[in-house]
Amino acid sequence: MGIHQKIIGLFLLASPLVYSQEKPCYFQPSLLRTSATIAPTRFYRQETTIALINGFVEYVLENRISVRGEGNIMAPNGKLVYTNSPEKFPRNFTSIYAGFGYHLGKGNWKFNLHTEPGIAISEMAQQPFLIVPVAYQWSVSPSYMLKGGTSFYFSKYCHFFAEINYSNGWIRKTPLTSVSIAQYGISAGLGFHVLTKKK
Amino acid sequence: MQRIFLVIVLIGVLQANAQDNIKYNPAGMLSLGGRTTVSLFNDHENEMTGTGVGGQFRLRFSDAVNTDWFFDYIASDILNYAHRTDYHIGWSVLFYPINNLDYFRQKEGFKPKFRPYILAGHCFDYSKIEAKESPLDGPMSAERWSSAVQAGLGTHLELTPRFDISLTGQYMIHLGNHIETDYDFTSGSLSFHEHKGASLAGHVLVTLSLNYKIAKLWGFTRR
Repeated sequence: MGIHQKIIGLFLLASPLVYSQEKPCYFQPSLLRTSATIAPTRFYRQETTIALINGFVEYVLENRISVRGEGNIMAPNGKLVYTNSPEKFPRNFTSIYAGFGYHLGKGNWKFNLHTEPGIAISEMAQQPFLIVPVAYQWSVSPSYMLKGGTSFYFSKYCHFFAEINYSNGWIRKTPLTSVSIAQYGISAGLGFHVLTKKK
Repeated sequence: MQRIFLVIVLIGVLQANAQDNIKYNPAGMLSLGGRTTVSLFNDHENEMTGTGVGGQFRLRFSDAVNTDWFFDYIASDILNYAHRTDYHIGWSVLFYPINNLDYFRQKEGFKPKFRPYILAGHCFDYSKIEAKESPLDGPMSAERWSSAVQAGLGTHLELTPRFDISLTGQYMIHLGNHIETDYDFTSGSLSFHEHKGASLAGHVLVTLSLNYKIAKLWGFTRR
């Protein structure tokens, strides 16, 4: 047997072995995933962009369905990247959402859609139309978030994700007209996951 | 010996037939969900569209009857001089009028489907109306507890055997005391008046809810 035949034989032998070592599907029911990242957000009605710290926990209930909870907190001492004048935006902003996700795609690359009702907790910075200074005031407002994105599960414990979101709500507890907190934002980063049940 | 054999065969045949007649009954199914509500066409003078958030659990009593047990927190503006907050806690009965159609019978595999329903129920509510705060006048508000009944139509969109999205449109009539706001657009003065007794003031509520079946509280039955 010549050297060429031996090489071809080895190659033929090795091919199915390599093929059989294809990565397993990490996304499956009982997967618990979490991450935290900095998420720039644009409050487009207030012409204001800020940095939020976004964190989420998600549990995969079925092949396509997951339940998810997440929170956004305005970065401590965060500067408003750009704001209108006079400033109408709250000086503090936190939002909490919980809902379900729908996942599409095969294997370890998924596209996901989320619908999450929630609340927004805001502290108004100042009254925009009065010269008289007023006290800062906290208020809790109903809100909802719609989110779409993609995730790539590249190892047993890690994945990349990128998402865009839209949320809406109104701060009613204001001296005059209610302030819209309609916003769109992005978040992306490295997430961590673990399978909580073994097959 | 032949008789014993015949009896065994007969029992076997009867059991096989009985198993054919056992069908899955969804009674006892418990779901948990979150919901977002929009409040429209409010009877309160100058009240604008409100938005709300809440949660619910759903308990099914039979193939054709389901129940929703919900909590809602809804906020809306009364022009730019006041805002109103409503807290609803209540229940609704959902009746599936066309549940016997072949479309709803699960045959081979699961396919997403719509399941329409008629809904009626009752709730308790707490409402608070607050004046938009002025640094000169200070806070001013009025509140009331009342009861309400609601009825409407809706549909589930069952995306998987356990997960559904439900859209409901219903009219809610408040039966207890009600608060009226009087606002003088010339002077900018605002006052609240509480009226006792029943009034048919109400609003249209459009609710989108997401629900997941988490447990079956009682078992399978034969039809």
